[in-house]
Amino acid sequence: MSELFDLVLIALLIACALAVIRTKDLLGAAIIFSTYSLVLCLMWQHRGAPDVAMTEAAVGAGVTTVLFLVAIGRTVRREK
Amino acid sequence: MSAFEALTNALAAVLCVVGAFFFFVGTVGILRLPDFYSRTHAATKCDTVGAGSVLLGLAVLEGFTPAALKLIALAALVLVSSPTAGHALARAVYRGGMAPWTRPGHRSGGEPK
Amino acid sequence: MKRALTIAMLVLLAMPLLYAMSQLPPHGSATSPAYTHISPRYLERGPEEAGAENVVTDVILNYRGFDTNGEVTVIFTSLAAVLAVLLAGRKGDERPVREPAAEPSPPSVVVRFVVRLLGPFVTMFAVYVIINGHVSPGGGFQGGTVFGALVILITVVLGRSVAEKLQPLGVRRILQAAAPLTFVAVGVLGLALFGDYLAFPRDEALAWVRTSWLMVIEIGIGVGGAAIISAIFWQMGGDR
Repeated sequence: MSELFDLVLIALLIACALAVIRTKDLLGAAIIFSTYSLVLCLMWQHRGAPDVAMTEAAVGAGVTTVLFLVAIGRTVRREK
Repeated sequence: MSAFEALTNALAAVLCVVGAFFFFVGTVGILRLPDFYSRTHAATKCDTVGAGSVLLGLAVLEGFTPAALKLIALAALVLVSSPTAGHALARAVYRGGMAPWTRPGHRSGGEPK
Repeated sequence: MKRALTIAMLVLLAMPLLYAMSQLPPHGSATSPAYTHISPRYLERGPEEAGAENVVTDVILNYRGFDTNGEVTVIFTSLAAVLAVLLAGRKGDERPVREPAAEPSPPSVVVRFVVRLLGPFVTMFAVYVIINGHVSPGGGFQGGTVFGALVILITVVLGRSVAEKLQPLGVRRILQAAAPLTFVAVGVLGLALFGDYLAFPRDEALAWVRTSWLMVIEIGIGVGGAAIISAIFWQMGGDR
C-alpha cells in the first residue's frame, strides 16, 4: 500500500514536471509548478522528512509561486 | 469494541464518505460546467464541504486529543479561507469584464463591461 | 569533430565517476559508514547533548551549526544581489517608482475582513512553528516563511502601507540581516565564553543555555527569513 502510494506520487511528479515544460502559458505553468511542489511535499512527508516537507510547502508551493506570478504580471504571459 | 467506539467510527466513516462525495462532485463540476463562474463555484464546494467534512471525520476518529483539536482548527481555516478565495476570484474576473454564461438562445443577463 | 570530442570527454569523465559510484555502499544499506558512526550518536545523544528535542534542529543548528551559518549568509547575500538588480537604475531607497494611479478592482470587504480575521492566527502559527521547532518538525526557516507569506497577503489585500508597519523603516535593514547577525552573535558569544566560534556549553548544568541559544538562533532565522521574503516581494513590485 505504501509503495503504491509512492508510485502514484512519483507518477504525478513526473506528469507535473512534463506539463510544466510543455505548457506555453506561463501563468498555467506557474500553477502547475506549485502543484509539483505540493506533490513533492507529500513525498517528503511520506519519506519521513516532515521538516523538509514544511519548507517545501511554504517556500515551493507558497512564496515561489507568488514571486512567479508577480514576475509574469510585470512581463508577458505567453512563451514565444 | 464498545458501543461508543462503534458509534464514533461509524460517524467518522459517514463524514469521510460525505467528504469524498463532495470532492467527486466538485471535480466533475470543474470538468463539466460551462464557464468560469460555475467552475469556481464547484471548486469551492470541493474545498469547503469536501475537505471540511473529511477533516471533521478524522477528528472524530481521533477522539479527544490535541491532534483532533488541530484537525478541527484546520477545518475551520478551510471553512473561512476557501469561500473567500472563491469570492475573490469570481469578483476579480467579473470586474475584469467577463459575462456569466447563459443558455444559448436566452437573453444574456448583462453584456461584459 | 567538436561534438565527437565533447562526447569522448564526457565518456572519459563519466568512467571514473561510475567507478567511484560502484564503490559506494548500496542505497539504503544499514551498514554504510554514514549510518554506523555519526547517525546513531546524533539520534541517541542529540537531545541531551545539543539542547533540542528535535534531532533535526540539533543537527542543523548545533552539530552542523557552522554549515547553517554559511547557508544563512548565502541567503542574505542573495537578497542583497536581488535588491541590487531590482534597484539598478532607480533613484531613492526602497520606495515604489510610482504609486498605483487607480486600483482597477480594490479587494472586497469580505476579503479584507477575512485577512484581518486570519492574520493573528497565521502569526500564532508562525510563532508556534518557530518555537516548537525544538520538539517537533519546524523551525526558523519554516515559521519565517509562513510569516513572510502573511506579509505578502496583507500587502496584496490591505495595501503596502499596512504591511510596512510590521517592519519600521528604521530597523528594516537590521531585520533583514537578523539571521546572520544572531548566528554571528551566538558564535562570538561561544568564542568569548567557551573558546570556540559557535561553541555550546558542554556542562550538564548549562543545558538551559544550549536550549536558549538554539531558540535565539531560530528566532533570528525566522525574523530574517520573513523580512527577506517580504523585501523581495515589495521590490519586485508585487503590490501593484
